[in-house]
Amino acid sequence: MAKAWTRDGLRATALLSPAYLWLTAAVFLPLSAMLYYSLLSDVPFGDAEWRITLDNYRAFFETGTYAALLWKSIRLGLTVTVVCILIGFPCAYVLAKTIRGRSREALFLLIILPFWSNSLVRIFSWAIVLRGNGVLELAVNAVLPFDIRLNLMFTQTAVVIGLVHSYLPYVILTTYLALQAIDDTLIDAARSMGAGKLTILRRLILPLSLPGLLAGAVLVFVPVVGAFMEPRILGGRFGTYYGTVIEDQFVAVFNWPLGAALSFILLAVVLLILALSSPILRRAPA
Amino acid sequence: MNHFRTFAAVSALMMTTTGVLADEIRVLNWQGYGTDLGWAVEAFEKATGDTVVHEYFNSEQEMLTKLRTNPGAYDVVLINVAFTPQAREEGLIAPIDKSKVPNLADVSPDFANNDALNADGELWGVPWTWGLTSFAVNTQTVSEIPTSIQVLWDPAYKGRVSIRDDALESVQLGALATGQSINQIDDLDAVEQKLSELMPQIRTFWGSENDWNQFMAAGELDLATYWSGSASRSQASGLPVQFVVPEEGAIGWLDGLSVPATSEHKDAAYAFINWMIDPEFYVRWDKEGAPASANAKAAAALPEDAFNRRVLGDPEVAARVQFQKPVPDETREQYLALWQKLKAAQ
Amino acid sequence: MSGKWLARAGKVWLVLILIFLYAPIVIMGAMSFNASPFYQLPFEFSLNWYAALSENDAIRTAAIRSVGIALATMVIATALGTAASLAFFRYEFRGKFILQTLLFPPIAIPWLITGTAMLIFFFGIGLGRGTPSVLVGHVALALPYVIVVVSARLATFDRTLEEAARSLGAGAWTVTRRVTLPWIMPGVVAGALFAFAVSFDQFVVSYFLSEPGDATLPVLIYTSIRKGFTPEINAVSTIIIIISMAVMLVAARFSNFGGDR
Repeated sequence: MAKAWTRDGLRATALLSPAYLWLTAAVFLPLSAMLYYSLLSDVPFGDAEWRITLDNYRAFFETGTYAALLWKSIRLGLTVTVVCILIGFPCAYVLAKTIRGRSREALFLLIILPFWSNSLVRIFSWAIVLRGNGVLELAVNAVLPFDIRLNLMFTQTAVVIGLVHSYLPYVILTTYLALQAIDDTLIDAARSMGAGKLTILRRLILPLSLPGLLAGAVLVFVPVVGAFMEPRILGGRFGTYYGTVIEDQFVAVFNWPLGAALSFILLAVVLLILALSSPILRRAPA
Repeated sequence: MNHFRTFAAVSALMMTTTGVLADEIRVLNWQGYGTDLGWAVEAFEKATGDTVVHEYFNSEQEMLTKLRTNPGAYDVVLINVAFTPQAREEGLIAPIDKSKVPNLADVSPDFANNDALNADGELWGVPWTWGLTSFAVNTQTVSEIPTSIQVLWDPAYKGRVSIRDDALESVQLGALATGQSINQIDDLDAVEQKLSELMPQIRTFWGSENDWNQFMAAGELDLATYWSGSASRSQASGLPVQFVVPEEGAIGWLDGLSVPATSEHKDAAYAFINWMIDPEFYVRWDKEGAPASANAKAAAALPEDAFNRRVLGDPEVAARVQFQKPVPDETREQYLALWQKLKAAQ
Repeated sequence: MSGKWLARAGKVWLVLILIFLYAPIVIMGAMSFNASPFYQLPFEFSLNWYAALSENDAIRTAAIRSVGIALATMVIATALGTAASLAFFRYEFRGKFILQTLLFPPIAIPWLITGTAMLIFFFGIGLGRGTPSVLVGHVALALPYVIVVVSARLATFDRTLEEAARSLGAGAWTVTRRVTLPWIMPGVVAGALFAFAVSFDQFVVSYFLSEPGDATLPVLIYTSIRKGFTPEINAVSTIIIIISMAVMLVAARFSNFGGDR
């Protein structure tokens, strides 16, 4: 028994260590250095004087600005995640269960391909679509008999559209991976036993596809909370989010300690949300 | 074969020591800001045999970070003079050997004697270009060219105004609009109040010349703050815009070229800087849209109708300009906090 | 009857999603043929940007360099990430939860902070800048995505299959190669494609870690926005998308990774 465990332990170590050694050298150690910076009063370059302090974390609570923006970013993350799931799940289902053969592989690739273009170029293209007198307005007015001003550009809606576009493929593909693994005979069996469509969806398909759905949701929610580029370009006057104030600490002023502290608060809150929601999500559909 | 290699290595070594072998100099600058013009680099390489490689930064803070973390990597760096004292105090740049930059003699004394560039009896950056931060109007939608900065607050242009998403620039704009000195803001509350009144006017913030041109070309804006050199470039490429220097004044800035303390090709760097302030270079650059030159001879060599001569050469305009002084870190952070608070309230 | 109707509605939905996904890509391509340097409408056909691109060595070499780094990242991250996912799936051990949680910081912390941290750290340990550093950074950022995606697929795998194969005398490697890998192939392919995307669009790390003159395409794009980037960028992006589309469709024609048994 003990011997078997050791062998498994060895195998697990052999499989895990390349990835985790790489991550340690390239991400964990540098980020630990940053964590240390977040406790300094000034950047330790040149003659700058510095000491250990919690002031940077205190700054978060001193004004309401940061907390308000973090809340705004979390709401944005939730909205984008929910929208991605609502429109991505049916799409993944069709891909996994109704499309067959080679065309499925082709579609699978087509969904991921937009990802291979530069995100900044993509966002600027959205700006061309959404702006006043842009592609969308011209198209809508060409179809409708009356004139209409959509005014989508520089609104929260524009930010959500841009972000959903950037992150939708994650949800579609991870959900697809789980849905496609469900054996069709299982569904047929349930149907032959008289289960209705909704029952099958709720009792069979949703629980079985949950791992994929959750993986997709996490891959959307986590980066969107810290997003700064899409809000800046598409949000206009309303485009200030938590991610943009972090960026400012690095780009506009040389205050890495505060920027790092704000980032680690973001990380802590995101992990807390994931921890709190995982038991609820896992229980819900059963 | 081996003999040939040894021979090649030895002769290469000899050429280096005798200075015949060309240097490669590395320039740190904004992208598309004069030093990387294809024809200019080509002319320099032809004249000196030295090659030029560029690296770009996206903000002054990044430029300083790159200098701090990459000793020896750069030979010429563009520094807004508001940041030159900081770079000097941190030991990032070397004093200029004036004898190796002959064109310095033609630089206007106003610029050459700038407080921020001079310290310890040495010059720490060669004044290169200068310009104004003010605003420009879309001449297709604004019929009468305004003369006051208060037009940005005019309800007639609600939702048609843009300013740059930059704390320092915004606060200094507020200072101009409330009749204060941009370098000595006594009543910061008044500035905050004034800026919060500006917010509803704003369609979007712009971040780069690219944003500005696209928003303006798409007809999203009537009025937007802008840089004089960029305005002349936008005009040159056909946008219907006009740059305005209002009666309240405008923010002036000066960019200098410095040599990092750790540069290993200082002579080639001086030669490049000398070429950059040469009138021949500047006159050709100006045709493509350039900021104003700090070299008096170069400025005088421009055609009469050139934007930089017509607008910035006007003594009445010059009298209204307030040049940006270095801003201490604490003040900068205070401005950023104010600016973020205003934006977060939207 | 209603089943057929639902299936048809589903296909319409899929088409709508594809239109949504490709709308900005089509606009991006269209603008590369538009004469206006400021992306102005109405549209006016021109091939000038492609002509300009053919003379722009900087953009072309940067694009080729980016593709090379992205391919290398894809191979390394997929191999390491798949191995790690297998370990998480097969074995129970102490600290597993912590290791899995550690995948989130690289995704959650904005790349600007991670990039700056890497820059300082790599300098501290003497690795410095250059293509090797860039590659190290890209692989690290792509790894969590591969592990999360492959694990999502593995979660659907029936463990008893591995046990059955093993009880028939197959060794661990044979089981992995003949039973497990074919099953998780769609997940591995998806992970690889994401890894490529993460690297190919990665700006911050390349920006801080590449040497002067060795810029990647995203670095070139981001640094040029201050002065305005021209539709040449659209032209090069369009060419890349068309080539990748062709490569992918050929791959789809000759391989089976969609999960059909």
